[in-house]
Amino acid sequence: MMDRLYALYMREAKRIFRSVYMWIVLISQPVMWLIFFGSSFSGVPKQVLISFFHTDNYIAFILPGELATSTLFVGMFSSMSLIQDKRFGYLKRVLITPTPKYDVFLAKVLGGMTRGLIQAPILLAVSVVLGVRMNLTPLSIGVLFLSLAFVGIGFSSLYSIFTLTTADWQAPGVISNLINLPLMFSSTALFPKAFFPSWLKLISDVNPLTYAAELNRGMLLYNDPSWNYLLYLAVFALVMLSLGSVLTNKFLYAE
Amino acid sequence: MYSIETRDLTKKYGDFVAVDHISFTVKRGEIFGLLGPNGAGKTTTIKMLTGLTPPTEGDALVAGFSIVSNPIEVKSRIGWISSEVILDDDLTGWENLEIQARLTGVKNWKERATELLKYFGILEFKDRKAGKFSTGMRKKLEIAMALLNSPEVIFMDEPTIGLDVNTRATMWNLIRQINKDYEVTVLLTTHYMEEADSLCNRLGIINKGRIIAMDTPEELKNKYGGDVIEIELKPGAKLNVNLENTQVTDSRVRIRVNNAESALMDLIRAVGGDNIKGIRVNKSSLDVVFINLTGGTMEEQEFDARRFYAMIRRARR
Repeated sequence: MMDRLYALYMREAKRIFRSVYMWIVLISQPVMWLIFFGSSFSGVPKQVLISFFHTDNYIAFILPGELATSTLFVGMFSSMSLIQDKRFGYLKRVLITPTPKYDVFLAKVLGGMTRGLIQAPILLAVSVVLGVRMNLTPLSIGVLFLSLAFVGIGFSSLYSIFTLTTADWQAPGVISNLINLPLMFSSTALFPKAFFPSWLKLISDVNPLTYAAELNRGMLLYNDPSWNYLLYLAVFALVMLSLGSVLTNKFLYAE
Repeated sequence: MYSIETRDLTKKYGDFVAVDHISFTVKRGEIFGLLGPNGAGKTTTIKMLTGLTPPTEGDALVAGFSIVSNPIEVKSRIGWISSEVILDDDLTGWENLEIQARLTGVKNWKERATELLKYFGILEFKDRKAGKFSTGMRKKLEIAMALLNSPEVIFMDEPTIGLDVNTRATMWNLIRQINKDYEVTVLLTTHYMEEADSLCNRLGIINKGRIIAMDTPEELKNKYGGDVIEIELKPGAKLNVNLENTQVTDSRVRIRVNNAESALMDLIRAVGGDNIKGIRVNKSSLDVVFINLTGGTMEEQEFDARRFYAMIRRARR
């Protein structure tokens, strides 16, 4: 049973780890956010930073948000991988074996989660180099990875669901245009919601990115996480995963 | 004992009938061919028999199980070889085999895979990326993958399309060999007459979604064969004689005779040498069988293929 999912997931993982370009994306994108965007407030007086962001280092503020956001961004690749399998006929090969369709979906989603998780240690290391002081304990790192796994599963599912029935190369790019920026800016990944207009606050309050950013901010910066947020992310992941599995069984075809 | 038994198997895409109530049986251990032009319904038939797409009507037993009510059991007892060679090019030959083995639920797959790679003479390349394999090696790897789960039936969709003459001959031998050595029933589709003739124990000739004749290649030639003389008339020339066994399309006249050599002179005299632009003689072959059954060559029937795919596309929207 698990053998089939294992085989399909190992395929995804090997393709990720062997692709030079995948490494370039996984490393460069979040690191560039951290360095370029993170440095944009470095000249702001310390008191202002502390009153706005509750930390004197903006990079420290966006690190937890950026970890979650870049996990969302790379979710696109699970959709691309699925479309590639349709295009090259590999999906036919899989579906002619006694493999249930939802295993195909689960493997893509776990692949998406893996891409997200690869970024975490890289980003943590870069932040330390940039002078961010964090509460790094086995517990905080464990919670960070767990929450990012939930975020990765949730958003990779969302991506795969959106492109379940298409074989168009361009679809993932279009979907990412539509969901990445609104989700990122409506979350508290980059800015606290204190100055959001009320409609944006509403979106922010259901946005999983907010929960991931706040959870890990509390964990890494103040050592005071809200465990309910982790629960929220777990529910998000589970709902998306179940929804995706059901829809895949119904709507996924080999070509 | 039948490996495949279809009953009124039908696939419709919208109003278009891609496969139209076909019924045939394939005995265990046979090499059975579906011969027909592109768009005749061969691939759609394979898709239904492998459980990739459900039939609109009818049913089939493959390896003893219904493709409608028990597709999972069918899928674990078959192998499949695509026309375009589908492998994961980024993974090694060995990794491709591993995935296939796990997906089909093969225990002890390593021994089986090693044995098969040895059988096909590609064991030494097992750690090379599949993308770096030659076309022949890729075909062999794909067949090895199809044999991993010791299937009762292997489906081969146009197994030699796009291959050069030498590789094609090698493929034919391979197909005969695995049919014998692994006692596997083979159902293949093809639009190459020579392939059907030399490879298949029995043939179904399929055109426009229907099986129009089914027998051994020899019997088909006996029944529907004979030589065909094809006369191309000069522009403006009219055929003034009434001949038996004749089909006329545009400026082309096809006459079926028992022996072309002896009939040729009489025929030229009857039609009138001045009216003739060219003459072609088809000696008894499956080509002739096909012409006699459908009233046209494969190429002429193939013209419908484009319309067929356009209709499928429209129906899917």
